[in-house]
Amino acid sequence: MIRNLQELYQYRALLWALSLRELKARYRASVLGFLWTFLNPTLSMAVYGLVFGVIMDNAPQRYPFYLFCGLLPWIFFSSSVLGGTTSVSDRKDLLTKVRFPAQVLPAYVVLTNLINFTLSLPLLFLLGIFYSDVPSWHLVFVPVLALLQTLFTLSITYLLSALNVAFRDLQHIMANIMQLLFFLTPVLWEVSSVKGVERFGLSMSAAEVQQLIVMSNPIAALMTAWRDVLFTHKVPDWQPLAVVAGVTLIILWISTSVFERRREEFAELV
Amino acid sequence: MTDAIVIDRVTKHFQKRSKRNESTTLKSELVRILKGQRKVVEPATHIEALKGVDLRVPKGSTMGIVGRNGSGKSTLLKLVTGIYAPTSGSITVNGRISALLELGAGFHPDFTGRENIMINGIILGMSRAEVKSRVDEIIAFAELGDFIDEPVRTYSSGMFMRLAFAVATHVDPEILIIDEILSVGDEHFGRKSSAKMNEFRQSGKTILFVTHSLSMIETWCDSAVWIDGGRTRMVGDPRQVVAAYRQAISMAEAESERVGHSALSAPGLALPQVEAPPPVEVIASPVHVTEVRLRDAVGAQPSAFTADGACEVFIDVTVDEPARCDASVEIATVAGVSLFRTQFAAGELSAGAQTLRLSLPRLGLGEGAHVVTATVWSGELPPKALSRTLVVAPNPTATGLIRPEHAWSLEPRATVSEPPPAVKLTAEA
Repeated sequence: MIRNLQELYQYRALLWALSLRELKARYRASVLGFLWTFLNPTLSMAVYGLVFGVIMDNAPQRYPFYLFCGLLPWIFFSSSVLGGTTSVSDRKDLLTKVRFPAQVLPAYVVLTNLINFTLSLPLLFLLGIFYSDVPSWHLVFVPVLALLQTLFTLSITYLLSALNVAFRDLQHIMANIMQLLFFLTPVLWEVSSVKGVERFGLSMSAAEVQQLIVMSNPIAALMTAWRDVLFTHKVPDWQPLAVVAGVTLIILWISTSVFERRREEFAELV
Repeated sequence: MTDAIVIDRVTKHFQKRSKRNESTTLKSELVRILKGQRKVVEPATHIEALKGVDLRVPKGSTMGIVGRNGSGKSTLLKLVTGIYAPTSGSITVNGRISALLELGAGFHPDFTGRENIMINGIILGMSRAEVKSRVDEIIAFAELGDFIDEPVRTYSSGMFMRLAFAVATHVDPEILIIDEILSVGDEHFGRKSSAKMNEFRQSGKTILFVTHSLSMIETWCDSAVWIDGGRTRMVGDPRQVVAAYRQAISMAEAESERVGHSALSAPGLALPQVEAPPPVEVIASPVHVTEVRLRDAVGAQPSAFTADGACEVFIDVTVDEPARCDASVEIATVAGVSLFRTQFAAGELSAGAQTLRLSLPRLGLGEGAHVVTATVWSGELPPKALSRTLVVAPNPTATGLIRPEHAWSLEPRATVSEPPPAVKLTAEA
């Protein structure tokens, strides 16, 4: 695991060049070019603002802002995972023609999405100001959360990209799993709004269910923390984040060893 | 002198994808696990691309690899480069390696030539600063003019290859691995790439390359290796290796004509052994070609013959027992186009060493490398052949494959029907 990350650092120039190219290439042929990086989230913010601010005006207060505090980190996670899954299997051109460090491929997808996420944060603050919400000192937690989420995403992406080389249907399965996960994760809804369960012989109080959601799903813990920092302006709970950090280390250890074991086959199987 | 590349008993097996594909979806794998079935042990459905290759490439030398399609040459290069891992055996590489296996890896069509130089250079192992310091050199070498700032998708394929080749050769490696790419671009660029390769050789870099141009192996390489059917068949002096390879190819062709099936049809199949006579041969030929020597008018062996000068072909043969023999000499292009063939009934040859001599007072060939094949046979018995490369020096006054004796003159209009020319210019020797 340490060696893998060291190598990744060693290839940082390559990683950076590929990410920059990806960002530039995305809007290369269009008139507005790089502006689309900002325009895309702006337009979707406007759409959500219209839907929940004007059409469905029984939605909670400042709901579009609330939504985006969760949606942006979620998009960072889900596009990294979906793009990362096919990152190795789609790059036959690089893997079979030059000696290429395979772990750069999933890593640069994550990095690209991280940059995109970072670039969209100022827009989020603008949206907040629109709802007369000024960012607070809690922003110091943003880099910490971003780092934690990046590492967690990277560990998942390593594993999936290595597996997808041998099992090509994984990419289709993942699309469905991510959709399911989207609704299981407090992005559209709030953890504190979840009620207790009194059926199927289960008896759990609302607090217990909420605890279960946050503790069992690292992404839910991260989303809750993002929202605490960006929307509620409070210090996030450290226990769920500690669990996420622990889980990240374990998955990262597993996935780097899986990746290292399989990487010799990549050039033959892609 | 240390070795730059040491290949020790390397084998490489590939899974046959057609059979595996059916069972490698995650779904079927999960279903199998849920049903509690054991993993079906697949019968040996792998392809042995390399069956055991030993090779040492000394530092600073140029080694050429010859062999038929599918014999494992490219697999070997990919193993040395580190793209594949060997199934067994070991490969040691001492020095920074750069592989020109396929040009333009990671080129993005929407980006300009300049932007692609940066990314391709980094992919090939240069640091950002290194690419920056060499970018002007690369652009100058590629000679793309204003196109360097146009998207690569607007390039012609020749321009694309030129840019890719320019980047790849400016990586400044200690070991260069090349697979069949020197025929890039037009003639001018071809000469430039050759010059670049020469520069590499002279600066003491190790070069390992695959080519089907046998004359190139003979003129460029310090040593050659012949890979046949996934094994090292022969290592040594490039001329000897090329000659043995040519002989095996012509034997395989002769055999396929006689027996009706072709040893050349199945890719990767080993060529027939030159030394061991083929099984259908009941009586071995009593006559053998031991050497073919090419000499000029004064009996020297020039590196290049002049087109108008003389060429003597000496065919050294050994005769086991007295036999009536015929001989032929054929001159062909490197690509195998026959330019000239002559046959000679030598009559009864006595046992022992003999020399047949073919005099060509005027060679009359265009510039470049040619293949001279001398064949000797007795009656219906299998022929014995040996090839040598004949290089003809460039001549500025004419081009083409052949160079007949020729003269230009200016005829006055009234005397156009008169046969004797007014001025006679003969081609200069």
